[in-house]
Amino acid sequence: MVILFAVGLYIVLTKQNLLKKIIGLNIMETAVFGLIVTSGMVTGGSPPLLGQGLEPPYASPIAHALVLTGIVVALSVTALALVLILRVQSECGSIELDDLLEREE
Amino acid sequence: MHLLPLTALLPITAGALAPALFYRRPDACWWWALAAMLANLIAVSILWFELHTGTTIRYPLGGWPAPYGIELVFDGVAALMLVLAALSVAIMIASRRYINATIPKGRRSLAYALVLINLGGMNGFVAAADLFNLFVFMEIFSITAYALVALARGPVAALAALKYLLVGAVSSLLVLLAVALLYAQTGSLNMADIAARLAAADAPGASALALGCLVVGFLVKAAIFPLHFWLPDAHASAPSPVSALLSGLVVKMGVVGLVRTRILFVEADVVPVVLLDQLLVWLGAIAVLAGAVLALVQRELKLMLAYSTVANMGYIAVGLGLATSAAVGGALAHTVYHAVIKTGLFLTAGSILLCTGLSRVDDLRGLGQRMPLTCGALVLGLLAATGIPTTAGFVGKWQIAVGALEAGQPWVVGVILAGSLLTLSWAIRVINSLFFRPPARARVIIADEAPASLLIPSVVLALLAIAGGLGGAVLLELVEPLTTRIVGQPS
Repeated sequence: MVILFAVGLYIVLTKQNLLKKIIGLNIMETAVFGLIVTSGMVTGGSPPLLGQGLEPPYASPIAHALVLTGIVVALSVTALALVLILRVQSECGSIELDDLLEREE
Repeated sequence: MHLLPLTALLPITAGALAPALFYRRPDACWWWALAAMLANLIAVSILWFELHTGTTIRYPLGGWPAPYGIELVFDGVAALMLVLAALSVAIMIASRRYINATIPKGRRSLAYALVLINLGGMNGFVAAADLFNLFVFMEIFSITAYALVALARGPVAALAALKYLLVGAVSSLLVLLAVALLYAQTGSLNMADIAARLAAADAPGASALALGCLVVGFLVKAAIFPLHFWLPDAHASAPSPVSALLSGLVVKMGVVGLVRTRILFVEADVVPVVLLDQLLVWLGAIAVLAGAVLALVQRELKLMLAYSTVANMGYIAVGLGLATSAAVGGALAHTVYHAVIKTGLFLTAGSILLCTGLSRVDDLRGLGQRMPLTCGALVLGLLAATGIPTTAGFVGKWQIAVGALEAGQPWVVGVILAGSLLTLSWAIRVINSLFFRPPARARVIIADEAPASLLIPSVVLALLAIAGGLGGAVLLELVEPLTTRIVGQPS
């Protein structure tokens, strides 16, 4: 998870292509979601459902709820980012940060 | 009473319904939005009076008690909601003309919807008692803020919004990471519960990492130097009422986050917060100077105001970091007063921009003769931002300076003074250009006084800003209980 997080952060910070930055952001998000899901794990625990053969100790269901919410949030951020990238592309003619900064000067 | 969840639900629901309800008549949407904001103001006022007659209001959502259920609290931090509600009504009144003039008809109801959802997110954020809700509400107001910046036309706005989004998303992720770390250690999400259990978890390394992630995340949201770089472009290129909303209210959410974090870790007492305090003082001091200097070299009025926000967030950070009761009280008072001042300033700058179409200070020469009331409001706001005695800006800066002397760091007083003088110098440049220079542009000569819907909010906020210093003692008394919680027990 740490490696995944670091890879994502590296991409966000160093890549000049806006689309790649968004991909990096998504990699970071996946890392954090992975961390949350694993934190809910209980050794030898069963799924938190009522039914045959399913007995305590149960795995924590809260972590899954958190991750679901997190995924929804991440999805909306990504969607908005993609729309904005489209707008930058149509108004500035490029999505490479180097080009955009050069044009400003 | 179910008023507390209503403050978050009402604006969000009203906002979500707005584009559907007003698809054919987008202009009527303004009344809907204003009604929702007024209802929100009434609900928050009732809550506020209850807070001051009784004790803290707690509301377990769905009847599940904390720490298992989700809880909302209306405590000293959440009382900031009253400022949010009142200022957003002023912004909404002023935004009608601006939005009608700049945004195509089909998208107007979307703009109002975003403002409403943004307000609901902020309300939820200040009232959230558990970390995960804090994160969710933070995302609600952040995402709407990115979209609001992108409402403005032009390539600068699109890029600024994207920059804001990237930085904001990374900071949100850091907060989520901290939530995950704290949840993994304590198995709880309720902040009070985490504070009680964190010492038992006995993992200072992970706690320190969580603290670091939370602090960096909220520093970005609060635009404290050196994490301020997204702010000037985003705030200056957004439509003016949106600038007022972002610069007056949304950046204050970072401060709220820092306050909540600090309360949590002071109560938990596992990681010393001294380092955090030192960091805040140093970054804040640099921000005060850098923000003021950068404001000085700008040519556009709105960019100047945006950099002034960076400087003022620096003052607040210094006050929080000094961690004496005077300084923290000053920081909280400055949070409230800066919201009033900066909302007023951006609304006034917006009406100047709308009436003349000019944004550079040099182009605005001689406007004082044509738009005396609007320019007068701008001058009053600028003087208040400088912190001249009896204005609203003075209270916070004075208290922070007193706190600096108490904490034995007299150099901070010098920084505060220097920041005020620098602010004064660019304020005088603006005032000089508005009132004491002959007009240079034809548009200035034919400009008329702004219409009443723009004028009234600007003038009222400017008068509040200039007279606010007189009510400083009352405000400091109001924030006092919160101050003691932030400072914690002296050990």
